[in-house]
Amino acid sequence: MSVTEYANPVRVTVGVGLLVLFVVGGVATLLDLPGAELLTVGAAQRALQAAIPIALAAIGGLYAEKSGVFNIGLEGFMIFGALAAAATASIASGEGAVTQAHLWLGILVAVLVCALLTVVYALLTIRYRADQIVAGLAVWFVALGFGPFTATVIWGGVSSPSLPNVDAITVPVLAEIPVLGRLVFDSSPLLWLTLFLTAAAWVVLYRTRYGYWVQAAGENPQALDTAGVSVNRVRYATVIFSGAMAGLGGAVLSIGIGSGFTGTGVTMVDGRGWIAIVAYLFGNYNPVGAFGAALLFGAMEMLQIQLQTIGIALPGSITELFPYVAVLVVLAAVGYTRMPAAVGEPYETEK
Amino acid sequence: MVRASVLERFAIAVASTLLALLLGAVIVAASGYDAVEFVTALVYGAFGTISNVAFTLRQTTMLLLTGVAVAIAFRAGVFNIGVQGQFVVGGFATVVTVLFLAPFLPTGVVGGVLLMLLGTAAAMLVGGAYAAIPGVMKAYADANEVITTIMLNFIASGVVFYLVDSHLRPEGASAPNTEQLPSYVDLPGFAFGSSSFSVIGLGVALLTAVVVAFVLGRTRYGYDLVTSGHQAAAAAYAGVDPKRTVVLTMTFSGMVAGLAGAMFAIMILGYYSDPSTFPRFGFDAIAVSLLAANNPLGVIPAALLFGGLDAGGQYIGFTLDVPRQLVDGVVGLVVLFVATPELFRMAGRRTGLGGDEE
Repeated sequence: MSVTEYANPVRVTVGVGLLVLFVVGGVATLLDLPGAELLTVGAAQRALQAAIPIALAAIGGLYAEKSGVFNIGLEGFMIFGALAAAATASIASGEGAVTQAHLWLGILVAVLVCALLTVVYALLTIRYRADQIVAGLAVWFVALGFGPFTATVIWGGVSSPSLPNVDAITVPVLAEIPVLGRLVFDSSPLLWLTLFLTAAAWVVLYRTRYGYWVQAAGENPQALDTAGVSVNRVRYATVIFSGAMAGLGGAVLSIGIGSGFTGTGVTMVDGRGWIAIVAYLFGNYNPVGAFGAALLFGAMEMLQIQLQTIGIALPGSITELFPYVAVLVVLAAVGYTRMPAAVGEPYETEK
Repeated sequence: MVRASVLERFAIAVASTLLALLLGAVIVAASGYDAVEFVTALVYGAFGTISNVAFTLRQTTMLLLTGVAVAIAFRAGVFNIGVQGQFVVGGFATVVTVLFLAPFLPTGVVGGVLLMLLGTAAAMLVGGAYAAIPGVMKAYADANEVITTIMLNFIASGVVFYLVDSHLRPEGASAPNTEQLPSYVDLPGFAFGSSSFSVIGLGVALLTAVVVAFVLGRTRYGYDLVTSGHQAAAAAYAGVDPKRTVVLTMTFSGMVAGLAGAMFAIMILGYYSDPSTFPRFGFDAIAVSLLAANNPLGVIPAALLFGGLDAGGQYIGFTLDVPRQLVDGVVGLVVLFVATPELFRMAGRRTGLGGDEE
């Protein structure tokens, strides 16, 4: 049996994961790094929090791609989500104090706005057969322009003033459990929402009839059509879902765990939408795998704080690059993940 | 799109731009600004005075070079979204080379020309090498080049900022800038009297477009490259190694992006700074190339159009209180519409304005 035959995506992913652990462990041992200080509950907490927006967008993106539409515009929808959430919370409070209710309203509006915007994107890519890669890039460019533009119209500058974020919820008693208590039962409700959505996305995709339709729309649209299910209707649903999830991810960034919208540079989303795409590729289109990959990237993002605590002070401009480098390493290792067969091809019913 | 006629492509490009501008004007009006004033200022900012024209041509020069870089890759069916990153590392290579070699070479015109040539060569080398990374990753690991090139854009920006900020900043300087290039390392402005636009720069850009058009259209290498983009199977049967072609395409594209970086460093900036503050020529270039249907010569008018839009947008940012990011958004809309030719074909059929030959 040759190496290429033996290597399936799951084996490669596990292999790469073990390799990364082995290398990290090796380096830590060689440099005599205090492992216990690197792997603290605080570090895990920060990694989980950083993983939430990436995981949400990734789950949406994987549904779209499973059904045959590559939504490469996730980054753009995240920008719109981040802006819509901050703008809604800010406007709803009417220059006054922003309360928790305003924040939740902001998150809800962000999801709705992004779902509506994705309807246009879905129409262009599905009905009008736009090139999915180019149209997705266009979404990013449009968001990079109109995001800061709208912020300037509302706040007079490309960034919002500082806004509060969603309060953590502490479950009495359960929060006393060592490690797990602090990680899950004393954390942002958005983490629970993400964990719930991850599980639900897995169940729907692999255990319901609708999930099989989604998979069939991406693998063999003709067969699905023959079975009497509208391929494009399934695709519209998944693409709009992906936009809504990216919007939710963006809202989490700006007011869920962050403190407002930042529109400078490539905005506060700063490539997380692109990282989300790699997260679901690395997770081999499995929602649980995508969440795991998002956690890896979240840990990379927060590594700087860990390195500082053990006395390795790398400049911030370098540590900020860890997630991007990790994406390249992951893509080099699992780049050949098998895409659904019909991705990128518009489907037309033969009458 | 491959079989679409030149006329149809032109019509789609014009319709996309007009529709995007119209939407932009509607958004301006909806945000409570005066749309007529906006459009007037846009045109005046682009072509109203001689210095506005110089600014338009300066932006055109940059968009022409970066647009050609994007077009080379798109022509071969590869998406090089990393032109911005290759442009950043290329310009950085130019500044480092010039600053490092200047003490060893004579001052004055001779030294200036020599330094500019060496700096440009360094930019093309580094830009090409940086673009080869995603090329190799696509060819040998099947990694999607859209994502790898975008990650490399972030990495280029971060690493160059770190190097400029921590290693090349002169003692006691407050801003993260390198030293100025020697004053004799500059392109003369001639008729426009602008310190950041030179007719020579525009000439280099136009020449690059013509040379690339020649290479793509009239040489064996260009034929292989374009064939592998449109007819991958045919190219493979004809003995073209698709993996090698991907790497070569990206390298070629990155060399032109590096050249754009050299032009930015020498003609416009005269030193190097935090790349995240640079204009996003590499991204706007994607719109330029798409509008030109990825034809290197078509990039010339498209770059002029976007150069004008850019200059007009900057002018608006200075004079009206309309945020200039609006123009970036309009550029994005142009990309969106150009990606959707079917929208215009359908509109054409409905209104009886042609497009029914399909």
